Amino acid sequence: MILIAAVAMFDSRASALPDPTGKFPGGLGPGFYPFWSAAMIAGAAVVVIYRWFVTADIGEGVFARREAWTAPLKIAVPMIVAVAFIQWIGFYFVTGLYMGFFAKFIGRYRWIWVIVIAILFPAIIYFAFEKGFRVFLPKSKLYEQGFPL
Amino acid sequence: MDILNGFTSTLGSLAGGFGTALQPFNLLLLTIGCFLGLVIGVLPGLGGTSGVAILLPITVFIANTGPGGSTSAVIFLAGIYWGALFGGVITSILFNIPGEPWSVVLLFDGFPLAKKLGKPALALSSSFFASFIGAFIATVLFTFFARALADVALAFGPAELFAVFIMSFATLIGLGSESPAKSVMMIGFGLLLAAVGFDTITGAPRLTFGRIEILSGIGFVPVTIGLFGMGEILASAEEQGIGFVERLSAKVGLKDIVETLGELRKRIWTVVITAVIGFWFGVLPGHGATAGSFLGYGLARQYSKNKENFGKGEITGIMAPQAAADASAVGSLVPMVALGVPGSPTSAVIMAGLFIWGLQPGPLLFIDHPDFVWGLTASIYLGHLITFTMCLLAVPLLAKIMHAPYAIITPFIVIISIIGSYSLNNSMFDVFITIAFGFVGYWLRKMKYPLAPLVVAIVLGDSTERELRKALIASGGSPLIFVGSPLAATLMILAIILLLVPVIRNVRERRARSSSAEPAA
Repeated sequence: MILIAAVAMFDSRASALPDPTGKFPGGLGPGFYPFWSAAMIAGAAVVVIYRWFVTADIGEGVFARREAWTAPLKIAVPMIVAVAFIQWIGFYFVTGLYMGFFAKFIGRYRWIWVIVIAILFPAIIYFAFEKGFRVFLPKSKLYEQGFPL
Repeated sequence: MDILNGFTSTLGSLAGGFGTALQPFNLLLLTIGCFLGLVIGVLPGLGGTSGVAILLPITVFIANTGPGGSTSAVIFLAGIYWGALFGGVITSILFNIPGEPWSVVLLFDGFPLAKKLGKPALALSSSFFASFIGAFIATVLFTFFARALADVALAFGPAELFAVFIMSFATLIGLGSESPAKSVMMIGFGLLLAAVGFDTITGAPRLTFGRIEILSGIGFVPVTIGLFGMGEILASAEEQGIGFVERLSAKVGLKDIVETLGELRKRIWTVVITAVIGFWFGVLPGHGATAGSFLGYGLARQYSKNKENFGKGEITGIMAPQAAADASAVGSLVPMVALGVPGSPTSAVIMAGLFIWGLQPGPLLFIDHPDFVWGLTASIYLGHLITFTMCLLAVPLLAKIMHAPYAIITPFIVIISIIGSYSLNNSMFDVFITIAFGFVGYWLRKMKYPLAPLVVAIVLGDSTERELRKALIASGGSPLIFVGSPLAATLMILAIILLLVPVIRNVRERRARSSSAEPAA
């Protein structure tokens, strides 16, 4: 947070202070608002850090238990991989693979059900969004060669 | 005479609102919204705010192509909110797992009444009746108070509006349950995010670092879907896993309803009073149903003759927080409609919807879009009635939703979230923002940072800056304009008092600690 605040304050430092010369309407330049918002973060961060030092915290650490970081990772990693692949293989293939992956490795489903889920869900989404709401979701690289998805 | 005229005029407008809300398309959307809200409320990995945020992009199509325009869209979104308010109750009482933050308090007495005393149907119907009565009382107050507040707010200039925004932030800091420093940090973060992109007055790019994608700013919707939708999924993966230990079943029958009505008659004043207090509490910015439910429980316990029964299945411990929670949720829409200030994180998301549909939240809504405001008001009455009926009839069906496999529900929510963030601007950049803010939301939850100040600040950031600069332009740069009118000065003084609340609280706690330590020394 302090880093974000420092970068924002540095970026908007040029017009951070009120300018009574009439250069800006009302005396405030474009940097005033972001600079002082960032200053607010920095000031509050100092207080939070101070309180963290002076308060004796004998509780367990943030990721002390193994499940505390493995459980979110099981969700986060496939999610990042899926999003990274959308622009290459398109949304519908990603949905199928992503849903199938969860069904197989988290749900421990049999392969037949994995295949059903991997086909059914993209199909439902295609008809609901692409055909129903006319929301055109990202297609694969093959789309430009005439492939429908 | 004026009061009578105002009263009849409001009733006439409300009748028109019922005409709008009862149109078949709007009624269908309201029913779907309430049902989706119930499902969202029952699913522990997804909150009402997340549900509203994830489904917000769909409302763009409803607003653009539906026969009711933005009125249909807001009726749909609000329906999700009302449904989620009821839905969380079912899992709290039957499974000892809160489906929503505002149903956490039901674990204290709801589950014990259901399990230890063997009365799950009574526990459920008590909470449904209390919710319905609380919401009804709050909606009547909403009908008359929102209009009156909007009439007052029409006289506000930029200085007064800026003072209102400052007071909203001060309320979040002064009356928030988390550390004030953390609330300040979240408000600063929200204001900073709102400042990204073109400066609306000078046209200069701010905090864009040469990236074209963010010249128009960081979208509120992708950020909210990330903070609430993705963040909640990651947090619940850690907190709850997939195994549920306790599972009760219940069906609410006529006998249970008769028994509930008997219990309700004994506690009707408690329910009415907590509903009225919950409503006014909800009107304060940043305090939605969750804070309202705890307030209702605390008040009921404090003034109960049967304090010792609380925590063991006391029906007042179910009815009071439920009435207060629903009343707070309705109350949180008052500042949104009348002042353009969201009263809770969920109403902040609904307010973002108003911006997306091309409406300006605030007092002018009553003049420029009366169909919208009164259609929404009537839909609050109808939405609660529909949800209440669904709950009484379909508890076993709704409870079955909890059995939906984790390995399907979780990735499906992720996929729907991605669609939601992508579809507004057809932008993969927005999807990346959603994912990034999913981790931010997870981390903030984990480090116990409050999300409400962040969301409210993102939504109000632009308006706050605009009113600040408009006021200064009007005054030729003199900051005295902010104390120039009695109203602005009063609001500013109130804001300062609210900001001093944590300081005073801190000093009193230290004094109490030192005085209790002295005798020992």
